[in-house]
Amino acid sequence: MIRSLLRFIDARRLIFILVLVTLSLPLLLRWSVPPVRMTAAELLFNEIEKIPTDVPGKIVYLALDYGPGTKAESGSQAKALIEHLMRRRIKFLVTAQVLDAAPIINSIPDEVAAGLMELYPNEKWEYGIDWVNMGYTAGAGLNIQNVAKAASIPNFFKRDARGNSTAEIPLFNGVTSIESVSALIQITAYVGTLESYLQFFANEKYRPIFLHGCTSIATPQSFIYLDSGQIKGLLEGIAGAAWYGKLLSDKYPDRPVDDSVVINTTLGVAHLLVILLIVAGNFVGIFGTRASKRRTDV
Amino acid sequence: MSTALAITILAGISTLAMLSFLVRENSIYRAFEHIFIGLSAGLGLVVTVRDFLYPKILMPMFGWDIVVFPDGTIKDPGHPLAWMYAIPLAFGLLYYTMYFPRYSWMARLVIGFSFGAGGGLAIKGFFNEILPQVTASFKPLVVFDEGTIAWMSSFNNTVFVFTLLCTMAYFFFTFRRGEALRGIAGSGGRWLMMVCFGAFFGSTVMARMAILVERLQFLLIDWTDALLKVVGYV
Repeated sequence: MIRSLLRFIDARRLIFILVLVTLSLPLLLRWSVPPVRMTAAELLFNEIEKIPTDVPGKIVYLALDYGPGTKAESGSQAKALIEHLMRRRIKFLVTAQVLDAAPIINSIPDEVAAGLMELYPNEKWEYGIDWVNMGYTAGAGLNIQNVAKAASIPNFFKRDARGNSTAEIPLFNGVTSIESVSALIQITAYVGTLESYLQFFANEKYRPIFLHGCTSIATPQSFIYLDSGQIKGLLEGIAGAAWYGKLLSDKYPDRPVDDSVVINTTLGVAHLLVILLIVAGNFVGIFGTRASKRRTDV
Repeated sequence: MSTALAITILAGISTLAMLSFLVRENSIYRAFEHIFIGLSAGLGLVVTVRDFLYPKILMPMFGWDIVVFPDGTIKDPGHPLAWMYAIPLAFGLLYYTMYFPRYSWMARLVIGFSFGAGGGLAIKGFFNEILPQVTASFKPLVVFDEGTIAWMSSFNNTVFVFTLLCTMAYFFFTFRRGEALRGIAGSGGRWLMMVCFGAFFGSTVMARMAILVERLQFLLIDWTDALLKVVGYV
């Protein structure tokens, strides 16, 4: 029995078991270490801080273009950013150009608002007043271009995702064209979706500030846009979300520890394990080959 | 059992079924893989109709969103030209003529239109996206900050310009490259690209691990909690 089990657990499966055990421990113990400083995330935080809250008819255009597959990274970023917007009472419109995001954009602001109202029972965040969900919109770049060119964004959308006429939604009071959009925040896990906004979300006279959150895999690509100034702030994967959460906690000390810090810590453990396995693999590879060569020579 | 609880338990079983591939290829994994593909296609169709086609196209087109009060007054009378959505809608439906050999040429009209529109958008998009990057690549090699040299920024800019030139030199195939291009610049470009690919690979590992961590977190905390609730421990 033990022999057959040992035969079954080959090197590949041993690595899987090692990864499983190593990652499970910090998650179960909710172990969290302070995240590393991410300057690109700080830039984003500062840009949100700069958005004036006392100008009527101004909104933030929040595009959440990710699916459940990248909930850990993009979801944590979205939660942190929405929390920041809600805490600062910045009104925002949420939309998506990818299908899998449709259920997510409906639930995430609700969850964040519920969490905040639990924390501050005397305050209220309401759908239609503080945020509005415009749902999934087909057409990618073509649709984005039409939003940017529309004389009235509420008229362009006509209805929100819950079927309400935009004319009846208080958030849209005073909102007209793209010039009413103080910032575009786009969080994505899909290639090409940020590019669609960079290419088309502007008119001849006005281009809002672009802020972006990407998965770790897309960080090198997104940095190009940060370097060129096309985006003014960037959240890089879960590390960016964790640092953003830390900045929020510094500003709002009563804020509870969020999941992004725990996930970031677990990810750090995973990286250590990967490095360890690479070193061990090379060690076994080099010395194993030498030993077998020596045996063959003999 | 509440719906939310049932969904959580089902999600956990699905996750375990997909992860079972790590042990070995098996029929449970295959079954769940096919369910997932079917669900994705179904979700795509439902969301497109529910969130886009019905509220944004069909409702205004047929005036289903017009509210008539008992006194005969109309709230939100809609746009008088909303019926014109029927034109692109009918044109788009021509795509399905590809299933009828006799009329399949009509589908080519739609494909040709899509190509033309896509090409036009791509040209505009290219300039909007790439030109700011071209101008941003003209960086000063020596950066001054309040009269003194900002060494770090200067170093960063020098590395940037060197990398840019070397990488461009590597992809210079117009005519035979001289020693200078083939030597330092060409191989330098290759090495620098290797560094970039390494960064990409590292980021890929990080992203994949993050996905695994999220699933593990779900299984160990949310799913276990739901299971305990079902068996009556919580």
